[in-house]
Amino acid sequence: TAETSLRPLFGRRLVTLAPPTLSDNTDDYGRLTWTLQQHGERAPFWAGYALLRSLPRVLREANWQVAVELAAVEGATEIQGVIPASGDLKGPFGLAVDIGTTTVAAELVDLATGNVVATAGTYNRQAAFGDDVISRIIYATETAGGQAALREAVTETVNGLVGELLRLRGLNPEDVRAVVCAGNTTMVHLFLGIDPTYIRLEPYIPAVNMPPPVRAAELGLAAHPEAWVYCLPGVASYVGGDITAGIKVSGIAAAEPLSLFLDIGTNGEMVLGNQEWLMACACSAGPAFEGSGITCGMRAVSGAIEAVRVLPGGFEVIYRTVGGEKPLGICGSGLIDLLASLHQAGVIDRGGRFVPDQESPRVREGSEGLEFVLAWENETGTGREIFVTQADIQNLMRAKAAVFAGIRTLLANVGLPLEAVEKVFIAGGFGRFLNIRDAIAIGMLPDLPLERYTYIGNSSLKGARLALLSQAVWEEMKAIARRVTYVELSVGNRFMEEFMSALFLPHTDLSLFPSLGKERD
Amino acid sequence: MALTGLEIYKLLPKTNCKECGQPTCLAFAMQLAAGKTSLEKCPHVSEQAKEALGAASAPPIALVKIGSGERVLAIGNETVLFRHDKRFEHPAGIAITVADNLPPEELASRVEAINRLCFDRVGQMHCVDLVFVENRSGEPATFAAAVKAVKEKTNLGIILGSENPDAVAAALGEVAAQRPLVYAATAANYEKMAALAKQHGVPLAVRGENLSDLADLVNKVVAMGAKELVLDTGAREVNQVLADQTQLRRQALKRFRPFGYPSIVFAIDPDPVRRVLEAAVPLAKYAGIIVLDTVDPAEILPLITLRLNIYTDPQKPIAVEPKIYEIGAVTPQSPVFVTTNFSLTYFCVAGDVEASRVPGYILTVDTDGTSVLTAWAAGKFTPEKIAAALNESGIADRVGHRKVIIPGGVAVLSGKLQELSGWEVLVGPRESAGIPAFLKQFWA
Repeated sequence: TAETSLRPLFGRRLVTLAPPTLSDNTDDYGRLTWTLQQHGERAPFWAGYALLRSLPRVLREANWQVAVELAAVEGATEIQGVIPASGDLKGPFGLAVDIGTTTVAAELVDLATGNVVATAGTYNRQAAFGDDVISRIIYATETAGGQAALREAVTETVNGLVGELLRLRGLNPEDVRAVVCAGNTTMVHLFLGIDPTYIRLEPYIPAVNMPPPVRAAELGLAAHPEAWVYCLPGVASYVGGDITAGIKVSGIAAAEPLSLFLDIGTNGEMVLGNQEWLMACACSAGPAFEGSGITCGMRAVSGAIEAVRVLPGGFEVIYRTVGGEKPLGICGSGLIDLLASLHQAGVIDRGGRFVPDQESPRVREGSEGLEFVLAWENETGTGREIFVTQADIQNLMRAKAAVFAGIRTLLANVGLPLEAVEKVFIAGGFGRFLNIRDAIAIGMLPDLPLERYTYIGNSSLKGARLALLSQAVWEEMKAIARRVTYVELSVGNRFMEEFMSALFLPHTDLSLFPSLGKERD
Repeated sequence: MALTGLEIYKLLPKTNCKECGQPTCLAFAMQLAAGKTSLEKCPHVSEQAKEALGAASAPPIALVKIGSGERVLAIGNETVLFRHDKRFEHPAGIAITVADNLPPEELASRVEAINRLCFDRVGQMHCVDLVFVENRSGEPATFAAAVKAVKEKTNLGIILGSENPDAVAAALGEVAAQRPLVYAATAANYEKMAALAKQHGVPLAVRGENLSDLADLVNKVVAMGAKELVLDTGAREVNQVLADQTQLRRQALKRFRPFGYPSIVFAIDPDPVRRVLEAAVPLAKYAGIIVLDTVDPAEILPLITLRLNIYTDPQKPIAVEPKIYEIGAVTPQSPVFVTTNFSLTYFCVAGDVEASRVPGYILTVDTDGTSVLTAWAAGKFTPEKIAAALNESGIADRVGHRKVIIPGGVAVLSGKLQELSGWEVLVGPRESAGIPAFLKQFWA
């Protein structure tokens, strides 16, 4: 079906024009657009000055057989080039880019076939100006030249990736004819150089949720200067185009069952709904599950502890690392395991506090209270111990409580119970080993049958690629973004009440987690 | 029961046209469910949906307005038994009695005393609302003259307290334009009273001997065309008042139409303390109007305060008062911590300061009840606001030093805060759990 639905935002259409005669004296441009329309291309058409100047000669030299380069722009079709059909035509190529707050990923896509020909990822160089979107907005608005610095940083990051991708395939920037970016609202503002000041100030209004496409040349992007750069449409200040992509990729907007999409990252965006209605919020879970803000936390890369078991009493620990390397730190999935396991082993109580007077040598006094040693210095790749502190655990408790409270608040807004959720799609950088069972055990995810859960990985990048390859998907995403109702969690105190009730393992209301009770029995 | 947002949404046109002022139809449905907007705002809703929604969203308790001009009292439109379920909508009116047989000067000075029952609470003036003119003389002419005198002395709403239709008719001749409440229609006089209320377009109180008697009487009065009613169950003992008020509200919420009106109660105990308590119970428990026979400000102030508190919208952030808190036996050498007024944040800090066994001051900054990092993110915990709190709270008068400890999470604020406030800023630990260790190290 990928072949039949392939209708990218930029494409070449091979057409043969009927040569003019005395009885058919239509002008060259009219002849071209009429022919395009006969081939099902979308009116209105428009073309640049340079193209018109050379059009008569090009058409005749090509003997009326030409490849027309077409870009879909805001419901119209731009004719970017007319070249002889006989030439050696490779590509054209497009880029799908996921501009994450922490990491940026890109795919080089052959727009003629729809195939991904190369993939690359790196860190967002904006990190030098702050780890989270808020610090970056503050830097952009309160430092002279801050906004420009952040724009340059992300542009350099993307250009670096593009350069790497093009080198792999022996291509030039001019071969990239369309770019689709997915990012949260703040990332899109900073990338386009749009003032982000009011995103973070009450009542939290972004400059634009659905930015119109911008020329690559205007953004200084390494691509054909006339290539359009499209940013996926967003919903509100803290629910951006990356989440619209998630809605599309998970398919929740087109299906009957009530579904929940969760992006378990710093902003903690989530979407509830089905084909009839969609509702979204951002619970600001914080970066704990991305490994940030935790003493020995790290991303899910080689050497990260991604699964842990603490045996009863807390004397022994079994863990597994990404790539089977010596451990360097612990990533999100490992932290979820750890929290569940420390509680089951009796090391921490339901409030997440260390149980005092323990005999385990792994529990010791640190500078900020008690801490638990996961790996001794002789086992690790760094020669330093890996441990979690009381403050780390409180941090994780808040992160998991925010996620669960967000889910409960969304459901409460439509008067539905947790059990009404028929499918749950999880996106986020957990690597392969997100343990749903443990995520339920700590009270982060609702206690639903495991078969209702699906992990869908980086839905943001995938959504960008789908839009790049299909004008229909691009339009669909705009329609989706318009349909989503944004729920502001800071209004009213339901979220805060839910949040505080969720600051326990798994929750103050154990009846919400019936399957855990069964396990204990 | 009220419809959920989703049930309402299913009846809306789903155009997402934004003409109602909401970004989507679902957002509009959620506002409707919360009672924060009205269906008329939607220009595209079908007649069919209007009917279905109108019946479901019509308030179970009618809105009744007494008085005219600025001081009009609106009561009713309530939708819940407990304020935390949504909120109590319209604060109960407090009425003070005036006997019609008082000598003119005494009557005038009593009304003046009532006018002065106004108090400044959290920066706003809160007053009693109504004057209950009692026809103790039994004479229509005396009553009408007293009502006229009251009208000239006050712009508060008036209750015509007489069961004599002739007296009420005479008084209405003086004050009908001020929309007084007629008190009361009873089994003996309801036909004449209802006719008077209908003729002058004024609200009418209906008094029964008990709940079932009241329900019968309301049906009769309604059948005669009186629409704006206020209910009196006849109870005068506080335990019976509590039971009756609860039944009125509970049955009204179950859509028992005869009880779908606000109520009136009397606090008449001769002992002032008991009187105030007698008024406080129905204030918390659903009464629409509470009548007292006192002009003593010391009795009215606690009731005004209680009313303000009970009718506060509970859908607000969970916050502590922004002020200076003392933990332990503080001295001028004690450390000063600054944090936000989010209650969870405050209690974490307070608990850990206490655990350090070093007495200290905690200065909470008003951040609309948001946590340190949330307030920082939303620009509500700024160096300017903290500096203002340091300068205006009076903390400078309580300590001999000029050092303030800020949360480690907002270390970035320290430079500017130091500059703005003139205080030396110490950056504390990121987590309040680190306060005891921090104090040991940095606060000798």
